[in-house]
Amino acid sequence: MKHKLFFFLIALTMISLIVAGCAPQPTPTPAVEQPAQTEAPPATEAPPMTEAPATEVPQVTETTVAEEPAAPTGEPIKVGFFSPTTGFAAADGTSALQSAQLAVKIVNERGGVLGRPLELVYYDDAAKPDQASAIARKLIEQDKVVAAISGSYSGATRAAAPIFQEAGIPMLAAYAIHPEITKTGDMIYRIGTLATTQGRVGAELIGKVMGLKKVAILTIDNDFGISLTEGFKQHAAEIGLEIVLEEKYPLGETEFRPIIGKIKASGAEVVYATGYYNEAANLVSQARDEGLEIPIIGQEGYDSPKFIELAGEAAEGVIITTDLNRDSERPMTRLFLEQYEATYGEKADMVGASAFDAVMVLAYAINTAGSTDPQAIVKAISELKNFEDVASGPFWYYTPEREVVRPISSQIVRGGAFHLYHEFTDEALVKP
Amino acid sequence: MLVLQNLSNALILACTYILMAAGLTMVYGVLKVLHIAHASVYTVGAFIGVLAFSWVGNFWVALTIAMLVSGVFGVLIYRSTYFYLLNSPRTVPLIASVGMFVMFTDLLQKPFLMGAYQRAFPAGGAGLPAIKTALFSFTPKQVLILLVTIILLAIVYLILTRTKLGLSWQAASMDRDMASAVGINLNQSIAANFFLGSALAGAAGVLVGVYNNSVFATMGDLPSYKAFIIIVLGGMGSLPGAILASLILAIVENFLVASIGYVLPRDSIAFLVLILMLMFRPNGLLGRE
Amino acid sequence: MASGYLLTILIFTAMYISLALSLNILVGYAGQVSLGHAAFLGIGAYTSAVLTVRYEAPFWLAFLAAIILTGLIGTFLGLPSLRVRHDFLVLATMGINFVVVSVFKYVDFFGGAMGLVNIPAPTLFGITFRGGIPYLLLTAAYALFTLWICWYISKTWSGLAFQTIRNDEDAAASLGVNPARYKIYAFGISAALAGGVGSLYAHFLGSVFPDNFVFVESIGVLSMIIFGGIGTLRGPIVGAILLRLIPELLRFIQDYRFTFYGALLVLMMLFQPMGLLGNESWLWRQVKRWFQASPQGSKEAMR
Repeated sequence: MKHKLFFFLIALTMISLIVAGCAPQPTPTPAVEQPAQTEAPPATEAPPMTEAPATEVPQVTETTVAEEPAAPTGEPIKVGFFSPTTGFAAADGTSALQSAQLAVKIVNERGGVLGRPLELVYYDDAAKPDQASAIARKLIEQDKVVAAISGSYSGATRAAAPIFQEAGIPMLAAYAIHPEITKTGDMIYRIGTLATTQGRVGAELIGKVMGLKKVAILTIDNDFGISLTEGFKQHAAEIGLEIVLEEKYPLGETEFRPIIGKIKASGAEVVYATGYYNEAANLVSQARDEGLEIPIIGQEGYDSPKFIELAGEAAEGVIITTDLNRDSERPMTRLFLEQYEATYGEKADMVGASAFDAVMVLAYAINTAGSTDPQAIVKAISELKNFEDVASGPFWYYTPEREVVRPISSQIVRGGAFHLYHEFTDEALVKP
Repeated sequence: MLVLQNLSNALILACTYILMAAGLTMVYGVLKVLHIAHASVYTVGAFIGVLAFSWVGNFWVALTIAMLVSGVFGVLIYRSTYFYLLNSPRTVPLIASVGMFVMFTDLLQKPFLMGAYQRAFPAGGAGLPAIKTALFSFTPKQVLILLVTIILLAIVYLILTRTKLGLSWQAASMDRDMASAVGINLNQSIAANFFLGSALAGAAGVLVGVYNNSVFATMGDLPSYKAFIIIVLGGMGSLPGAILASLILAIVENFLVASIGYVLPRDSIAFLVLILMLMFRPNGLLGRE
Repeated sequence: MASGYLLTILIFTAMYISLALSLNILVGYAGQVSLGHAAFLGIGAYTSAVLTVRYEAPFWLAFLAAIILTGLIGTFLGLPSLRVRHDFLVLATMGINFVVVSVFKYVDFFGGAMGLVNIPAPTLFGITFRGGIPYLLLTAAYALFTLWICWYISKTWSGLAFQTIRNDEDAAASLGVNPARYKIYAFGISAALAGGVGSLYAHFLGSVFPDNFVFVESIGVLSMIIFGGIGTLRGPIVGAILLRLIPELLRFIQDYRFTFYGALLVLMMLFQPMGLLGNESWLWRQVKRWFQASPQGSKEAMR
């Protein structure tokens, strides 16, 4: 009995291998440069290039569909996407994937790209660089994507970037923040705000907007935390903040009480704590439990409805710097937030917004370029101005180092939800 | 007083370790296998606990349900795997345990089970009051953890020392074949042992879920590594050893962090302690093998 | 020089074959179950990365250094194995994995959480190869080298000593075989070989991060040996190949990869603990029978 089962399993495995090996690779017909032999280009894809930057008033030049655009037809245009949907990073990977798929749906509802449907080809990389490396090649050679988006962490993105660069395929990093990623080459762009920039804004927030001086810094021990703190300290020195305590802590830590004791003893007026929503939720609830009442400032890692859910009342008054302004009246932000919740039954987060935006930027670039030629796509991205079709926008422009420049928002938790606190639009401050 | 507050926080932290370690050391005592899949039982306990709580609204009922389900889950694990491997070389059930751990962790993350995200477990302090003295204080949640831990430990102690079942475990842990020879139904005994050990893990999961107000698929990993470290420190198979080691570990961790900060993450510190222990005192503090 | 998709798969497979073989020396021949092998991969990778990135050492020097240094560290980290056995050793190796990864993360010299990037490609006779056929040749050559070392060990006195340690340490001691010495050898050689793979890994990917070498990776490597057959030469090779290729070929598995691995381990332990092609396995007996029937005889007599 035991042996029969085993024989069956082995046979199954062998047969699958043979079949898979002999069967033609699941590559669809190569259709990269096929002329769009369809009908007229879609009605509403004109990129909205409107007023000058640095205005607070949200623009209203959305390409919202008044009339029905022609449904896209013809060979799909493929964009690669990889994110960790299994493994320790599955939460972010799933959020990224779902948001990207939502964006593709929206793009296709508005007529697709160049009149053709946009198709997302995705693979799970479990946030592992060797997987990302293989996936990058697979996307380039087998799936023949015209561009790719990394919905994964820095390590995996960093492994994939050189491959896309060498193959001359544009790649957008949705939220991975390692500075080296964009330095890989001229095909690599980033959607998320560089963490060092966000750190600088944090210092500005504390020093200039809140008028506080003595800061305790808690740094989560990964690249995100370290970059944030680096930016923070740089600007803090410029505006004369006093750092009374600085501690690093491990990702996934749940017990913050000893550190909280130290913060209390340090005389700090405010805490700048980098981390993700689970650490942050524990930090703020334990802080309030232990009687630490000073303000706690976070960043986009907190930017998830989960933070409020997990921290409960302790979340009230927490302020974060982020790119997603939930109070924004901007049509694309509202569209994203509402449709994400309607489609997936959960509120969206910053990771999702970045992935969503990556798709929107790519769709815009392809349409503007008028073709799927990589150089043209990349040129379109680099020349982008005041782009509104993004959830975490507007994107003002891209620096020559391929980092995005845009206003950075800060949000405060009031009444159990994030609301706008202050918007930072000083270009010198927010420029990476 | 900062030191006393740190100490009292460490006590609560130790409670969260103790239940996990107690369950593990019980299982190890009889089975002689490092039951790495214990982490999954812990997580399942937390999951069932939060679900039950959302249906029933009462913490104690939810806890009981979670413990029962965890216990059954543990028995199923035993019966489907370890049962067949009792007489294999020691590495075999160990690898099987790793395999189950990997499998369950992945499955638990799937949307039809726990999903990839965290969910809240808003049981608060289950209505218990806070304890505030001049020197230190416990929040209601901390009181709850203390209370549940003490109750459960007391029950376990009674079972271990006063019941036939408990004695059969002690016999089996010393010499399995002999125990069987003198008429102990080994299978039932081990199953019951698994049930109780797993129920304790489930309870640990529920308590931590409430304490941190979050339940997620990988929450069992670190606690289970810690639990291994604790049972080695305390001596494999010794319940008092596990309790003592939990206390020591929690205190050392907290005080290290409070004084010199995170030179290394908590769990690495714990592992370093483990390695040193294994080098110099492999039988642990109170072990007997 | 870009590598095609297929080439990349082959390169990684070659690396994992070497890695599995190296672990097999420790687990299969010497019977020391280790759940921390990824630590050695990491030490080799970081050694090579640090030397080439910070000190601009040439690749080949860094590669050798990775092997030697990892071997030395492995020998040292093998010391706990002298005091403890079985489960305790497993825990100790797990602990070593965690501690090593933490050191990479918390000590700035190693780049911390930012990792080390811009690791240069190896050059030989003026040709730089980041990938492509040359890199495949490199990794394949290393795999053959590792295989040769394993074969040599299994054949010589050291190999016999290992086998007896695996079967019964006390008996081995009574025969005059000093278990301690051979356990340390096993750790040292196993680590050294893994260190070499680490170097190849780092230079292929171009960057290293601490989280590339976590505990889960160690489980992965051990799975390959278990699956293929412990203590044989063919086992780790087959295990590495199958476990790397199956997820690539069967897409639906991709979303359930770890479930698959885990279930596989459990099933193997229940039904064929010696591995798919282990000496006593059902499949291997069929293979042997098939070869004995044919006039070719013992073409596959790798043991």
